[in-house]
Amino acid sequence: MPSEIDAAERLLNLVIALVNTTGRMTKEQVRTSVAGYHEADGGEAFERMFERDKDTLRELGIPLVTVTDPRHGDDIGYRVDLDAYELAPLELTPAELGVLALAAQLWQDRALRTDTSRALTKLRAVGQGAGATDLLPGLAPRVRPGGGALEPLLDAVQARRAVRFTYRAAATGEVRERVVEPWQLLGRRGGWVLIGLDRSRGAARSFRLSRIEGAVRAVGPDDAFGPPAADELERARAQWQGGGPERIATLAVAPERAGALRARAVAAPADAAELHGDPAFAPLLVGRDVVHVTFRAGWELAEEVVGYGDAVLVLDPPDAREHAIALLRTAARLDEQPSDEQPSDEEPSDEQEVSRG
Amino acid sequence: MAERASDRVLRLLGMVAYLARHEGVRVDELARQFGVTPQQVVRDVETLWLTGTPGYLPYDLIDFDVTSLEEGVVRLTESRNMTRPLRLGAREGLALVAALRALQAALEGTLDDERAQVVSSALTKLSAATGELAGAVDVELAVGARPEVAAALTRALRLDRRLHLRYVDASDAVTERDVDPVRLVAEADRGYLLAWCRAADGERLFRVDRIVAAEVLDVPTELHPLSESSDRFAPGPDGELVTLHLASQGRWVAESSPVEDVRNLEDGSFEVDLRVVSPAWLRHLLTQVAGVVIDVRPAGLAVDVAQTARDALAAYGPLADAEAGRG
Repeated sequence: MPSEIDAAERLLNLVIALVNTTGRMTKEQVRTSVAGYHEADGGEAFERMFERDKDTLRELGIPLVTVTDPRHGDDIGYRVDLDAYELAPLELTPAELGVLALAAQLWQDRALRTDTSRALTKLRAVGQGAGATDLLPGLAPRVRPGGGALEPLLDAVQARRAVRFTYRAAATGEVRERVVEPWQLLGRRGGWVLIGLDRSRGAARSFRLSRIEGAVRAVGPDDAFGPPAADELERARAQWQGGGPERIATLAVAPERAGALRARAVAAPADAAELHGDPAFAPLLVGRDVVHVTFRAGWELAEEVVGYGDAVLVLDPPDAREHAIALLRTAARLDEQPSDEQPSDEEPSDEQEVSRG
Repeated sequence: MAERASDRVLRLLGMVAYLARHEGVRVDELARQFGVTPQQVVRDVETLWLTGTPGYLPYDLIDFDVTSLEEGVVRLTESRNMTRPLRLGAREGLALVAALRALQAALEGTLDDERAQVVSSALTKLSAATGELAGAVDVELAVGARPEVAAALTRALRLDRRLHLRYVDASDAVTERDVDPVRLVAEADRGYLLAWCRAADGERLFRVDRIVAAEVLDVPTELHPLSESSDRFAPGPDGELVTLHLASQGRWVAESSPVEDVRNLEDGSFEVDLRVVSPAWLRHLLTQVAGVVIDVRPAGLAVDVAQTARDALAAYGPLADAEAGRG
């Protein structure tokens, strides 16, 4: 495709000209002297081409600045800001370059794939040799696509700019417009989450990107808000973290069952209760093995364990057991005739819904 | 597919900066460095040769040593002041730093010291050069395997060796099989091993948290034909079509399961269509979300789930009653 080749050559000539210019180049100087623009006449075709080329260079991260000269009235000139052009001193070993190429695969969104592929091309220039691919062969890290909202939100978080979007609340199904000061984006189990300050509520809130309907629009100026206080940010993040300190649960497991749980088994905790002698627990242990596993959130362990039906019972701690029994109770009514009743308020609690998304 | 002009410009600039740092680079080496073919490198050099500063007389142009090039070596003799490597854009730096951090956290404990060191030095250098602390994004990846299993998987992949797996399938049966590993996929939810299963003579996706034991065999892997979308969990059209009508609190189901269709209803509730290959998987899902289920089609599934739950409650015996009394 000759037109493609011409475009790359023209863009390169423009960069080289604007890097080497003494002072600045006006649009007219570009048209008459930079190779590739000769064919375009002085009218609209050139204007369009030059505007598009400027956009492309800026998109590539080339710092194009406009320079006005009082002696020339409102005639605008351009140059490349060489101080802002240059990458900070950096040298990458082939192994480091290989790791970066691997990490770059993480992103599934088109915009971010473009970003990482451009970043890699730039970093290859400072690599000491081709990226070594044998470091972690066969590993394919990846995060769920964030959809159309991810890119504008990333820009807004970096620019500290407020955003406006329409959001469908999970708890109520209510659809409403929100204006948010975005703090951070979290890639988590099951999807993307934005945390930030909801201006209309004046409080920190979490938003799942999958519940944002339509476009995300940046509103107001850059640097419109400062970084959140550390404890405020930690509180907002907390519900999306693993959930509490690690604890050890005691399970009663039917023979030959739940191999995946058994594989995770740990030694009995030092303060383990003697369950065999306890009349409340002894009957549950008949024909079952006692297995100890680690967990963080009681509801999370309960949700895993109920998948095994009567093959796995939670004995201890009580909060995890209560979660499991509550889930089973609700499920046991699943074949009752549907009624006009609202869904049970027993399960899941709001807290649970929020912590798992 | 034609390469975008913008991508090519970036590589041309990168090549000049690289060649300014390396005196004489073989064409094939330069091709590897920038991930293109040697033919493309020759085309790129030809384009660079034509570019320069206005005037475009010989001394205005980027130039290479002709004799070297005839011998297959690219030697830059005139750079027209283009030797600086280009900085990363704000989002470019962020995307790479965040990805590297996620990778480092996910692989913790599964890499030997030398490899862990490479990951950490790459992260340190890149963070310093971009000033990017990645405060804007935080991605959690899960491999979810026990350290000795993860170590065996990465070793087998590195050495191209066959694995013997003890694996618990979705219906809780322990199976033993030999597989040729292809890829370890680390996602936010959990990790998967894509491998060619020799018993099934087909590609299979294994949840690494269900791999009970993995042994690296002294047998090299064989090459197998793989389908393109093989590392995504997407049940084929042969699964049973199940429709769930859920209250809006159950929206995460639509977000974390391979659904065929989602229909939002007026009252905020919604319906999802799922293709279900594993009845055990669906029973587990329905037990978890029973509180927000308004309806299930076909209806027999609800009976099945409810009966399983009643059996489990019966196994708890008086303990289940005691909880009810307290609640």
